[in-house]
Amino acid sequence: MSPAHPPSGAIEADVCVIGAGAGGAVVAAELAEAGARVVVLEQGPHHHADSFSARPLQMMSTLYRDGGHGMTLGSPPILLPLGRGVGGTTLVNSGTCFRTPPGILERWREEYGLEQLTEPELDPCFERVEKALSVAEVTPQLAGGNAAVARRGAERLGWSSGYLRRNARGCVGSGVCAFGCPTSAKQHTGITYIPRAKAAGARIITGADARHVAVARGRAQAVHARLEGGAHLEVRAADVVVAAGTIHTPLLLARSGLGGRSGELGGNLALHPATAGFALMDEIVDMAKGVPQSFYVDEFAAEGIMFEGVAGPPSYVAMSLPLSGQRHAKVMARYRNLAQFGLMVSDSSRGRVRLQGARPLIRYDLNAEDLRRFRVGLERLRELFQAAGAREVFLPLPTGVSPGRVTARQLKLMAFHPLGTARAHADPERGVVDGNLALHGVRGVHIADGSVIPSSLGVNPQITIMALATRLAFNLIEDQNKT
Amino acid sequence: MSDLDAFLAAAPQPQRSSLRMLLALARRPKGRLLLGRSATLAQLTDGLLAMEHYEEPAAAKRLGWDAQAVTARGRALRRAEGRP
Repeated sequence: MSPAHPPSGAIEADVCVIGAGAGGAVVAAELAEAGARVVVLEQGPHHHADSFSARPLQMMSTLYRDGGHGMTLGSPPILLPLGRGVGGTTLVNSGTCFRTPPGILERWREEYGLEQLTEPELDPCFERVEKALSVAEVTPQLAGGNAAVARRGAERLGWSSGYLRRNARGCVGSGVCAFGCPTSAKQHTGITYIPRAKAAGARIITGADARHVAVARGRAQAVHARLEGGAHLEVRAADVVVAAGTIHTPLLLARSGLGGRSGELGGNLALHPATAGFALMDEIVDMAKGVPQSFYVDEFAAEGIMFEGVAGPPSYVAMSLPLSGQRHAKVMARYRNLAQFGLMVSDSSRGRVRLQGARPLIRYDLNAEDLRRFRVGLERLRELFQAAGAREVFLPLPTGVSPGRVTARQLKLMAFHPLGTARAHADPERGVVDGNLALHGVRGVHIADGSVIPSSLGVNPQITIMALATRLAFNLIEDQNKT
Repeated sequence: MSDLDAFLAAAPQPQRSSLRMLLALARRPKGRLLLGRSATLAQLTDGLLAMEHYEEPAAAKRLGWDAQAVTARGRALRRAEGRP
């Protein structure tokens, strides 16, 4: 992706985009296709599907930031795996596509003054993104045995549920979305928007660690990056789009002395914390044969509790199964009969990210309200599996502790949707960017990633991020046409 | 370097050192007894060692998972259909 000899010194562009994930790739493609000179700086490498081995342990080390070991500090500590490279986390997510729920947009208008982000305004952006990514509903055949278990349970309980919409084309149910799609069926931004950006003349520079956004006289001037091998690169551009992700965007802005006025930079971190349970079934499930995240149960979405499918090959299950010793070995021997389903909470807890040394330090404590959601959710997850005919249910709880009595510290949580650390708010005293994703008080610096999303969504955020990025690109094109 | 070693090497400090120490304990009988006092640590180390075990093609195949066949099918589809 990057030239054999990466550029050093200084290059000129109309727009410098930092990050090639859900937000950055979309902005880069839309702007380049409109004729702008675009340079994309991506910290990670380009991953080609030929290197995907369908072996989770091997792929974690290469596709994930810090090998997927990223964690929050707090009660409880939460594993926070993030993708790294061209495509960002879209390369390793499950591909689930939800539009921003209308109630959330309404809340943004009322609580954050984001009058611009209405359904009529965003619908064309959603449609454009969904078309670019071939978003469609998973078929029951492709969903596989794991989804069939959850569907049976939901139908017997009369719970609202359905097949998920995903960004996939020609999917054959390889079962390893989170570890690199070997068929390139998942339409991550590394094989959709980035090739479009390149074809339109954008330069994609991998191994480029953006260190500083330079601003003079209230206007963006340049981005300074460190290349692999230590060379320095300056990209001179009057417009900069920061899309380094919810954890790293606030750190880059803070290093640059930008975005600090409201005191919100790095704060307001929402995660959608999640956990998962297993069920031992009489039938052969073969959970990794099919789309891992293909079915959802939204009966309790209004309470902030969402169930979504999750599955993987034996080595992935071995790490996730909440058992040890002989019990672990015996249940693993029945892997083909195991089903798994996830529980995600639309959190009201908020955390903060800050720089400690050269690394992000993420503090997040689960509040009482979200703990209650997990207690209820785990009980409902058990009900779902039992209604489906589970012989045994394994919840991620200590021995002898029921869902209703679990403490925050006893929960085993992961999170995949960090949001909010440079939140949008119409008021410069209360937010980092405005409703057009422009940094308050500075011209030419914009943000296009999950950090601008001011509240939990309750659903997977990639389409929201991409739609907001599309809208930002349209606004920038309009601005450039005016000048 | 084994896949597990590479996985651990990718972790930031202090997780890297902590996990290596815990796995060193888990590989010794007396260490395993010690870890058994904490269900959380026992689950973590048993999970990691089992992950390494089931990453092996022969062990995974016994449970119906053939990573090589999955990637071969993927490669064939990409070549046949001109996918990236």
